[in-house]
Amino acid sequence: MELYDQVTINAPKEHVYAALNDPEILRQCIPGCEELIKKSDAELEARVLLKIGPVKARFSGTVELDTSGAPDAFSLTGQGNGGAAGHARGGADVTLVESDGKTVLTYQAKAEIGGKLAQLGSRLIQGTAKKLAASFFQKLAEVVDSVDA
Amino acid sequence: MNDMTPEREERVAGLKGLGCSRKRVEDARFTQGKGNYVDDLKLPGMLHGDFVRSPYAHARVKSINTEAAMALDGVVAVLTAADLAPLGLHWMPTLAGDKQMVLADGKVLFQGQEVAYVIARDRYVAADAVELVEVEYEELPVLTDPFEALKSDVVLREDLDPAAPGAHGPRKHHNHIFTWEAGDKTATEQVFAEADVVAEEMIYYHRTHPCPLETCGCVASMDKVNGKLTLWGTFQAPHAIRTVVSLISGIEEHNIRVISPDIGGGFGNKVGAYAGYVCSVVASIVTGQPVKWVEDRMENLMTTAFARDYWMQGKIAATKEGKITGLWCHTTADHGGFDACADPTKFPAGFMNICTGSYDIPTAYLAVDGVYTNKAPGGVAYRCSFRVTEAAYFIERMIEVLAIELKMDAAELRRINFIRKDQFPYQSALGWEYDSGDYHTAWDKALTAVGYDALRKEQAERVEAFKRGETRKLLGIGLTHFTEIVGAGPVKNCDILGLGMFDSCEIRIHPTGSAIARLGTISQGQGHATTFAQILASEIGIPADSITIEEGDTDTAPYGLGTYGSRSTPVAGAASAMAGRKIRAKAQMIAAYLLEVHDDDVEFDVDRFVVKGAPERFKTMKEIAFAAYNQAIPGIEPGLEAVSYYDPPNMTYPFGAYICVMEIDVDTGEHQIRQFYALDDCGTRINPMIIEGQVHGGLTEALAIAMGQEIAYDDMGNCKTGTLMDFFLPTAWETPHYTTDHTVTPSPHHPIGAKGVGESPNVGGVPAFSNAVHDAFRAFGLRQSHMPHDHWRIWKIADDLGLHG
Repeated sequence: MELYDQVTINAPKEHVYAALNDPEILRQCIPGCEELIKKSDAELEARVLLKIGPVKARFSGTVELDTSGAPDAFSLTGQGNGGAAGHARGGADVTLVESDGKTVLTYQAKAEIGGKLAQLGSRLIQGTAKKLAASFFQKLAEVVDSVDA
Repeated sequence: MNDMTPEREERVAGLKGLGCSRKRVEDARFTQGKGNYVDDLKLPGMLHGDFVRSPYAHARVKSINTEAAMALDGVVAVLTAADLAPLGLHWMPTLAGDKQMVLADGKVLFQGQEVAYVIARDRYVAADAVELVEVEYEELPVLTDPFEALKSDVVLREDLDPAAPGAHGPRKHHNHIFTWEAGDKTATEQVFAEADVVAEEMIYYHRTHPCPLETCGCVASMDKVNGKLTLWGTFQAPHAIRTVVSLISGIEEHNIRVISPDIGGGFGNKVGAYAGYVCSVVASIVTGQPVKWVEDRMENLMTTAFARDYWMQGKIAATKEGKITGLWCHTTADHGGFDACADPTKFPAGFMNICTGSYDIPTAYLAVDGVYTNKAPGGVAYRCSFRVTEAAYFIERMIEVLAIELKMDAAELRRINFIRKDQFPYQSALGWEYDSGDYHTAWDKALTAVGYDALRKEQAERVEAFKRGETRKLLGIGLTHFTEIVGAGPVKNCDILGLGMFDSCEIRIHPTGSAIARLGTISQGQGHATTFAQILASEIGIPADSITIEEGDTDTAPYGLGTYGSRSTPVAGAASAMAGRKIRAKAQMIAAYLLEVHDDDVEFDVDRFVVKGAPERFKTMKEIAFAAYNQAIPGIEPGLEAVSYYDPPNMTYPFGAYICVMEIDVDTGEHQIRQFYALDDCGTRINPMIIEGQVHGGLTEALAIAMGQEIAYDDMGNCKTGTLMDFFLPTAWETPHYTTDHTVTPSPHHPIGAKGVGESPNVGGVPAFSNAVHDAFRAFGLRQSHMPHDHWRIWKIADDLGLHG
């Protein structure tokens, strides 16, 4: 499954980049995120409550960040396990381009889903994932906007 | 005296015997919700089991933590392989000579595999506890393609010595299970080297699932006081299950009682032994309480026995005139993680060697390679007698491909190659002796009934109209003439786990002239209580309405191998007739005594014995039954009972001619079945109404399989069709009208000439639907497109042929 989209955020690139690395902001933006702990600069641990179609489950997982392209690019890989509900792994490449004090964020994500999620939710997953990603970046835009305002 | 006088006709009608469309005696309870299924059973103190299943298709199990689950109120125990290992029950034997993990022993080989078994006070607590069991997995590379599996370095079955032979001979690779061959390879190669015309094609019969409305389940109850285990379950073969349970548990067979209550459809899915049965028995032994386990729909579709999944590489050779000279087939059979295929021991690819079909093919060769993959195990006959559907689909597609190659009409090609009536009993090149048949008569009747020539004309006109842009719909005419092989089977070559595939009937006539008959089979909707009583009614002259049929309780029924593969009528039906004849023989002696004549001077007449030449002197069966219990007859024991264990001398070979006329919308891929004509010849017809019902049901399953039903996996081994949202089960909406017809060619070796019919519509229906799809696109160059022909795939055919402009 692949996802691709663009969002414009009303803030300079550095702010957006910093927000993407701020566990507290991330926690607010990730839909259903109950806990996000920064283990190191490159590693986060998360617990997320997700509902996809008929499957509702608490996923716990790790996220690894690659910040070597800062502040223009940023990538992450992660995996999560929802026990009986299934599991997922994937990654995303994010690029940030600034113009007129605004930042255009582009993301390209890939994910592989397994277990009950893949069986029950197969026809719902693409749509749900798109919705979740959109909701994340929209929330991010809001949070960053409000911090900047 | 055997003339059909009105009086005699009335007596025959009163019996409701052979040939009568007697209403199903089972239906009164089924239609009123009074059936009694496994899940209806509620015993005092009954516990409930549920499985923790693997979300991965291939993974190592690093650890299982049951602490949180055990802490949940209401949880009694959580079993893992480590708990079963000391009992030697963490693995179990399969019906195919392989072994299968009961609970994951170090690794999992398919998604949904049983990892741990939770036992709780109620079903909901069990399900909650399943979610609390923490299992740590390490993912392993997944193999879902059998061709890849045979090349891969990844070893699926680490428990097997790659160098040691399997249950069916040498293994060529660590993921290879067996090679099975039939026919003459050298002679077949020679025929192909010299042939005028050779058509070659890969025919894939996709993986699907029987999907009975009632899923699999059981209730195990160990009585620790008297040492008796009672096991209720959805078993298609209760006696065999008792033997298997005894062999693997060590409990003596007389201390095990297996009961199959009402069963809500089986279609092969309920033949095998599943982990749920073993775990429930163990749980009941450990807890001393009854334990119930019933699958949910996803578990049924994902883990219990699937059907088909055969890749059949075929070649067919013929003369320029279309006379077939040879057939060659190499099949790659995907058996999943364990070889749990349900076939007679000597036939690891079932009766796939019936793949010469209805045709007189002098030379043929078949090889089948079984392969392990990361998919669910199984490989059962889904309303088909051991891979006969695969064989029928293969030959009926190859005939169509040959017709294209020869630029011939496919109906005519079939006609010139049919085995002729005078060739029966016919010895096939792949080893079977066909008992009887009259294919030309059936074929001509079918073609006439549908107006075949006019249909072809209409089709040609449609193609022209399409090319002119006047229509976007094409017309397909799907032809099939199938030959089935059912009634497994002769003990000399058919056994399952060493148990000969005979069957049995025990009959007891009561003093007042009614009777009870018990059989080794078990109805799952076939209507045995109706039809077996009809066979007996005609044999012993007691009305079918006065005969109770009982099956499924191993404490009372005689031993038999159960119901699958259309074997009940050919085998247990024959046993009924033979037991009935034993009753009649004794009744004849009693009648002679009562009439004060010699045994040879009385003869059977519908419902009585009459003195030859003096029909006014007779004793009815009712009178004879009473005499058996109240008279001291010299030289004859009191009572009127008989038992027969019937070992059939041969299989039976039902056949049929099916024609499907289908409209296909090129732009949407939708299809509409305009006409479906099904002619079945199942020998003597016991109950025409039940035959028609069987044909309707089987055709609807065939429609499902051909047009959409499949068990599909993604590259990670996720089962993508685990619910009825994704797994196609036709409703009244999708089901077309069927026209049924028949010819009658009795089996010469069956006591009443019956052949069995349950599977025929599935065996013949699938190629008829599929051939219709192919035929619609023949004019545009389509040779082969794999099933299922769902809307998207049909659209894709049209797109690939450039029909979308």
